[in-house]
Amino acid sequence: MAVGLILFGILVMAFAMVAAKRLSALIFGFRAQSFFLFMLTFILAWRENSTQLYIVTTMLFAVKVVLVPNFLQKVARRIKADEDLGLSVNPTVSMSAAVLLSYMAYLFTGKIVSIPGEFENSALFISLSATMIGTFLMITRMKALAQILGLLVMENGIFLAAASVSGGMPFIVEIAIFFDILLVVIILGIFVFKINRLFTHIDVDKLTELKG
Amino acid sequence: MQLAGNFGDLSGDYLSLFFLFTILLISVPAAVYSTGYMMGEYGGKKKAVLWALLAAFVSSMALVVLTANAFVFLVAWELMSLLSYFLVVSDFKHEKSVKAGTIYIVMTHIGTAFMTAAFLVMFRYSGSFDFSALKEACSTMPPEIKNIVFLMLLAGFGTKAGLVPLHIWLPYAHPQAPSHISSIMSAVMIKTAVYGMLRFVFMILGIGAIWWGNLVLVLALVSCLAGIMYALTENDLKRLLAYSSVENIGIIMLGVGASMVFMKMGLPAVSLLALCAGLFHLINHAVFKGLLFLCAGSIYKATGTRNIEHLGGLIKKMPVTAAAFLAGSIAISGLPPFNGFVSEWLTLQALFTGAVNTGGSYKIFLCVCAALLALTGGLAAACFVKAFGVTFLAVPRSRAAERAGEVPLSMKAPMVFLAAAAVLLGVGAPSAIRCISAVADSVIAAPAGGITLSASLNTVIIASAIFTASAAAFYFMRPRRTTECNTWDCGYYKLGARTEYSATAFSKPLRIAFGFFLLPYSKTEKIRDSFYHVRSFKYEVFTTPVFRDYVYEPAVKLVFMAARQVKKIQPGSIHVYVAYIFATIVLLVIFMGRF
Amino acid sequence: MKYLLVALQIVVLIAVSPFITGLIKKIKNFIRLRKGPGVFQPYYDLAKLAGKEEVISRDTSWIFAFAPYAVIGSVTAALLLVPAFGPGISLNRAGDLIAMIFILAFGRFFMALAGLDAGSAFGGMGSSREMFISSLVEPVALLSVFAVSLNCGSTDAQAVASYGTFRFSTLVATGALFAVTIAETSRIPVDNRETHLELTMIHEAMVLEYSGRSLALIELASHIKQVLFFSVIAAVAVPFGNYAVKMLVIAAAVAALEVSMAKMRLFRVVDMMSFSFVLSVIAVVISAMGY
Repeated sequence: MAVGLILFGILVMAFAMVAAKRLSALIFGFRAQSFFLFMLTFILAWRENSTQLYIVTTMLFAVKVVLVPNFLQKVARRIKADEDLGLSVNPTVSMSAAVLLSYMAYLFTGKIVSIPGEFENSALFISLSATMIGTFLMITRMKALAQILGLLVMENGIFLAAASVSGGMPFIVEIAIFFDILLVVIILGIFVFKINRLFTHIDVDKLTELKG
Repeated sequence: MQLAGNFGDLSGDYLSLFFLFTILLISVPAAVYSTGYMMGEYGGKKKAVLWALLAAFVSSMALVVLTANAFVFLVAWELMSLLSYFLVVSDFKHEKSVKAGTIYIVMTHIGTAFMTAAFLVMFRYSGSFDFSALKEACSTMPPEIKNIVFLMLLAGFGTKAGLVPLHIWLPYAHPQAPSHISSIMSAVMIKTAVYGMLRFVFMILGIGAIWWGNLVLVLALVSCLAGIMYALTENDLKRLLAYSSVENIGIIMLGVGASMVFMKMGLPAVSLLALCAGLFHLINHAVFKGLLFLCAGSIYKATGTRNIEHLGGLIKKMPVTAAAFLAGSIAISGLPPFNGFVSEWLTLQALFTGAVNTGGSYKIFLCVCAALLALTGGLAAACFVKAFGVTFLAVPRSRAAERAGEVPLSMKAPMVFLAAAAVLLGVGAPSAIRCISAVADSVIAAPAGGITLSASLNTVIIASAIFTASAAAFYFMRPRRTTECNTWDCGYYKLGARTEYSATAFSKPLRIAFGFFLLPYSKTEKIRDSFYHVRSFKYEVFTTPVFRDYVYEPAVKLVFMAARQVKKIQPGSIHVYVAYIFATIVLLVIFMGRF
Repeated sequence: MKYLLVALQIVVLIAVSPFITGLIKKIKNFIRLRKGPGVFQPYYDLAKLAGKEEVISRDTSWIFAFAPYAVIGSVTAALLLVPAFGPGISLNRAGDLIAMIFILAFGRFFMALAGLDAGSAFGGMGSSREMFISSLVEPVALLSVFAVSLNCGSTDAQAVASYGTFRFSTLVATGALFAVTIAETSRIPVDNRETHLELTMIHEAMVLEYSGRSLALIELASHIKQVLFFSVIAAVAVPFGNYAVKMLVIAAAVAALEVSMAKMRLFRVVDMMSFSFVLSVIAVVISAMGY
């Protein structure tokens, strides 16, 4: 029951991020989703009682629940980009598309593992949904910061798949991924900051004018 | 040469009789209505022609549902299409009517072409056009051929039924016909397509694969939603009703499609329930749509306009028409205790029972279907609040509406009759459902053993509960002292028709919320006296007909382009033509030589 | 015996319904550190309205006069279908949870027509918005009802209420049902009952022309509707625990939500409703997985 609650919490948060119209709501959604993911891995670590998993859990909390959202919030505040996300598709249509995507994910995972049965099996469905929704966010949100968040949602989905299907990636890989994320977010954040200072906007759509 | 089957055979099974009953239930009141409607509208000769056409039209529909021979079916079908075409263009002085008729005749012939092709494929296996022979032949047909035949039948019947995206002719043709004809066309003619689906796909071809049902379900859902959204934004009363027919055909097809899915899943009882729901909605829609078109005709007769923005306040001028229209609106919005409610409830129950009995992705799919049906119901209610409210309530918006008067008895009586039928079918639903389940049983031909519902519904109790509570409230809380006064005007002293809420404004929130589909755009026009004083301001809003602009117009353009290319081989010089003949002969000689 | 209990239940619920509204107001004021009117204020309001003379616009028709009775009739009939006091006490022969949604729509239909009847722009705007929101709420309401009843295989309110185990899918569906309740009872993120500001009001704009006893009936109907929706959550969706306690908890939750949120723009309601729609789809997904 608890695992199920957390898993569907992750899915609901992904949908909430699709529904979000402001950057702060989007960041909050990501933070909440990461928190659910943290609880899930914590339960896994507690069950298997492995030190490595505990370390991963701690890092997850530090990076995804605290550092990255705080950093993004700070960037958003610095460049005063909180007003809108530059939605190219309105929330209702986005939501319908997201439902369709996760229905496809359901159909697809149903072919690999039988979904009614072990609750953990639904983790694959949810991770695939989260990954697809993340991609969808990256495509349809014009502001660069929102795109970073789409990427992070994708990463959350992939992490969930790895954690649930194979019981986690190798330890070193896991740690490396966290540093990757941290670096990517910092670099992208700085880029966004610079782009904003140079062009006074972070609308990725308008960057097409830069081509030669 | 042997005759391909018995042309004279009639099929008298439950399905045929059910459809015959529906046709007569609407046609007879519509014919009575037409006596009053045509009075003063048309001259003597034209009246005679219209009467003859009407009689022939109804007979051809009856022949369509009664014959037991596919060839005769096709002939009757074509006859029905042609006669209805003549009826559509009977107001041929209007340019619009002719254009509508042209779109109609082209679309309906495309449909007929598909049907003819399907019948010929089936004939190749059976050697006879008799239904029984066709049925036998279909059991030995390879599945790929079956799939193709099904798709052709769906395209053919879907065109007649007005399934999206083949609905394009419906909102043009139905409003342009005289109102009693629109009533028959919308209420029963498009239902013959459902008859065709049941007869040929269910009973003769047999359901080949589960995706057939899925396809029908998806098309039905799209029809529901697209139909009602266009209806909502429409201000022409008869066009609004025509679009709403698209929606209701969608609801009927939802039942039919669900029935196909459940049958293939091995759930005959649920399949029966779904088909019952579809058939019940079919007769219900016939009743209330027939009624609403007749009312629209009365309004047109009384005021000379179909644009609801120019109406208003008619409830005081035309009380009987208003009451009949109200009954029709309540029924079509699916509100208890009228008939539309019962059939929508049955459809939802069928989807629910199906969802309970299936697992996995189908459960989700069926539930989402049900939810979208509920959305359609909600939008339909909004649409008919707009239609009734703007047409009949508040203050008249034009001189014509001010001077309107009630229509003669010959027009009132059929409307009252159909309104009573709508109530009767709602309150007497259990008996009606029993009859219809016999019809559905004969279609499905699987041991289903009657319909079983997961919950019970009794419209009599609901009606009496609502009535008792209202009566009690009236008894205790009837206003003792009342004062008549002006509508609250915030201190402004000249409230009138100009300050009323209009139909365009009423549908605005929905136009914005569903803007991604309706693609609205507006035109404004200001006439100024000076910079500060605007003398008149005109605001018009339009929605983009997505299917017409993005599907049909490119297709038509393509056809014309192809035609221009083909035209090049016809230079008009006799030498070239002789050369063609010569070339043909040479080619023939070469090919004949090969055999 | 059963019918006697049903009759008793409906009388008690109608009698209590204004109290719930008063209670919510009291809780809100408590959170805001204000004193506010007493919990019985809605009763006084109803009594005051019942004693007043009624002012009717000249332009109205019989629809305007009839609508309050239609509304009260529909909410009462819908209330008959909810087994609030125990799993056996409702008229389940008359209809199920789906029928309940449709019966409520009957009253709303007449209310919206009445809004258009006087020919005032306020009423028209109210009707338009009410029908807009209700058409969006309807699919969410239906799907959450479906999700709640999928587990026991019946949409009958009694069968759902007496279904013993509390399933995970029901919990999620209850969330969606709560959003429906907020929208249907015209509570804050969707509508605001406390204001008469032209730009924001929905339900209040629709009934602006009413006064006196008709207004009293409409007010009473909205109290009853609120009890109805609370009861559907308390007695049908969450079938354990004390009914009265559950009602109090829901009332407190609604009050807390009203205090902590601002009213949404009209077109944000679309997003809220589509999110609750997704929530109920997820409930169905969970139910399909067998939880």
